[in-house]
Amino acid sequence: MFIGTEKLTYTYMSGTPFAATALNEVSFSLGKGEITLIIGPSGSGKSTLIQHLNGLLKPSSGRVYFKGQAIGSDKGELLRLRRRIGLVFQIPEEHFFSETIYDEIAFAPRNLGLAESEVRIRVKDALEKVGLRAEQLQYRHPFQLSAGQKRLVAVASVLSMNPEVLILDEPTAGLDPSHRRNLFALLDNLNRSGGLTVIISTHHLDDVVALAHSVFVLQGGRMVLAGPPSEIFTTREKLYDLGLSLPSVTEIMHSVKEKGLPVKTNIYTLAGARQEINRLKGRPGR
Amino acid sequence: MVNRPEIIVEARNLAYHYPGEEATSFPALSGINVAVYRGEYLALIGPNGSGKTTLLKLFNALLVPSDGEVRVEGVSTIDEVEIPRIRRICGMIFQNPDNQLVATTVEEDIAFGLENLALPSAEIRQRVGEVARMLNLEHLLQQPPHLLSGGEKQRVAIAGVLAMQPGCILMDEPTAMLDTASRRDVNDMVRMLRQNHNIAVVHVTHFPEEAAFAERVIVLNQGRLVRQGPPKAVLTDLSLLHSLGLQSTAASELAALLREDGFELPSQLLHNRELVDSLCSLELKS
Ligand SMILES: Nc1ncnc2c1ncn2[C@@H]1O[C@H](COP(=O)(O)OP(=O)(O)OP(=O)(O)O)[C@@H](O)[C@H]1O
Ligand SMILES: Nc1ncnc2c1ncn2[C@@H]1O[C@H](COP(=O)(O)OP(=O)(O)O)[C@@H](O)[C@H]1O
Ligand SMILES: [Mg+2]
Ligand SMILES: [Mg+2]
Repeated sequence: MFIGTEKLTYTYMSGTPFAATALNEVSFSLGKGEITLIIGPSGSGKSTLIQHLNGLLKPSSGRVYFKGQAIGSDKGELLRLRRRIGLVFQIPEEHFFSETIYDEIAFAPRNLGLAESEVRIRVKDALEKVGLRAEQLQYRHPFQLSAGQKRLVAVASVLSMNPEVLILDEPTAGLDPSHRRNLFALLDNLNRSGGLTVIISTHHLDDVVALAHSVFVLQGGRMVLAGPPSEIFTTREKLYDLGLSLPSVTEIMHSVKEKGLPVKTNIYTLAGARQEINRLKGRPGR
Repeated sequence: MVNRPEIIVEARNLAYHYPGEEATSFPALSGINVAVYRGEYLALIGPNGSGKTTLLKLFNALLVPSDGEVRVEGVSTIDEVEIPRIRRICGMIFQNPDNQLVATTVEEDIAFGLENLALPSAEIRQRVGEVARMLNLEHLLQQPPHLLSGGEKQRVAIAGVLAMQPGCILMDEPTAMLDTASRRDVNDMVRMLRQNHNIAVVHVTHFPEEAAFAERVIVLNQGRLVRQGPPKAVLTDLSLLHSLGLQSTAASELAALLREDGFELPSQLLHNRELVDSLCSLELKS
């Protein structure tokens, strides 16, 4: 097991009248180099699960594993763990701690003891990878940005750490289509070329399902479905019952099929849908 | 008598520069001329950093123009004594549902703005009751806001604005952080408001499926207004959208690809249902 949990249970404000069990015996196991999606209605436990994976929350019971080892509670060890497992928070601006965007992104490379000239290169590189121009905004305060730009800066500041595992909590909320696609292409690329393991929680499945090796579905703190996309998105009723949706293209294919045209529905991209509809009908001759 | 649509908000030659802006970047807004008409449903789209949030903040006097002017029901936002009235006419809903609720119960939250107007308490009760009925929040009135789902929080925030009997509601990506069910909930509500011809809605969104329901779409890019028109015209102009890094609805994007392959599909198709129906009727012909 590269990263995973065993009967992970977590209760917020345990021992008080406000105790709330956010995760209930969640077990899963991921291999190195997998891309995994975590979906589920809000409040289902996605963020709580994610924060266990890099040791920010400590299980009430059960365990979290990284590279075969249970994550312990030694402070120094946890600190090292958080450098290898990078986390982009759901609300990034709550976690900015620097006076400038440059310093925010430079934090990790500086920690590695790199020379400032090298740090500068890393900052510029990280910003460009997410689709922002360093010279345009690196000396601003992180709050002096649009909503989407803040999220992209948060991604850049974790990328500059060169993590082995990258976890993103609802990373595309507020991103425009081209920055969203750029982010997914970047993750795909890092995964293919460097074996980066990626875990993404999201409500918006467009452009991302095609990259995913596995999908976990949470509801009420339990893992209710898990499997490859082709399994999870074949029937829509179960997902509808959970209050979830499908990728827009998959939704269209399901509706076409419902109308009686025999199309495949395990299709997640526009290109895939185009091909499938052409296959079905042939080119209408003229 | 000629029935001219009445203007609620108007920007003339509007420009805005943030104090922190570098010389290397463009002003947040420049040369904006636009009007919002009473009762209309307007979608505002554009890439990250194009100026959408800035424009909303100028509309309700959270920012004052660097150049040009904004008038709300004819009154310039530069006039400080008019600011309370301007904010009452133009209420704002933000992206993060957790940042806007202040009181200890939903009822108090909806009443919050009214209390500040020093209205008689009978009138406050009556107005709160009315909007709670309208938005289906009656069963939640005694709940503490932090126990609500994201979608319910957004509906409470909208109720608080509606209780002020505004001329215009400004919504900055109200669904970006919501799950599928809550997103549907808020969108249904926005569409219901649309039947009320006294309230204009300006809806900033990165979801083309949401913009497709507006009566008019405005496109910003690099601080400039680059296009406006009905969704059937703007959202089917794929070359414009793509050149800005934007996208149309999945149905419209897929239809364009299929047209290239020789499928004869209506040119102004935006919604899934339209695509599915057209595809199925093609089948009948061939
Ligand atoms: N407080 C600030 N100080 C300096 N510049 C800012 C500030 N807020 C925003 N900007 C800049 O102004 C421009 C417009 O920002 P705005 O927030 O209006 O964009 P937006 O269209 O709402 O983007 P998004 O889709 O990411 O929310 C951007 O270039 C942004 O970097
Ligand atoms: N800091 C907290 N204190 C108390 N309860 C919390 C806290 N954070 C989350 N919860 C509760 O835990 C459950 C799971 O929440 P979360 O992990 O944020 O779900 P998701 O990310 O899927 O929306 C919810 O019932 C939520 O109300
Ligand atoms: Mg969450
Ligand atoms: Mg914005």
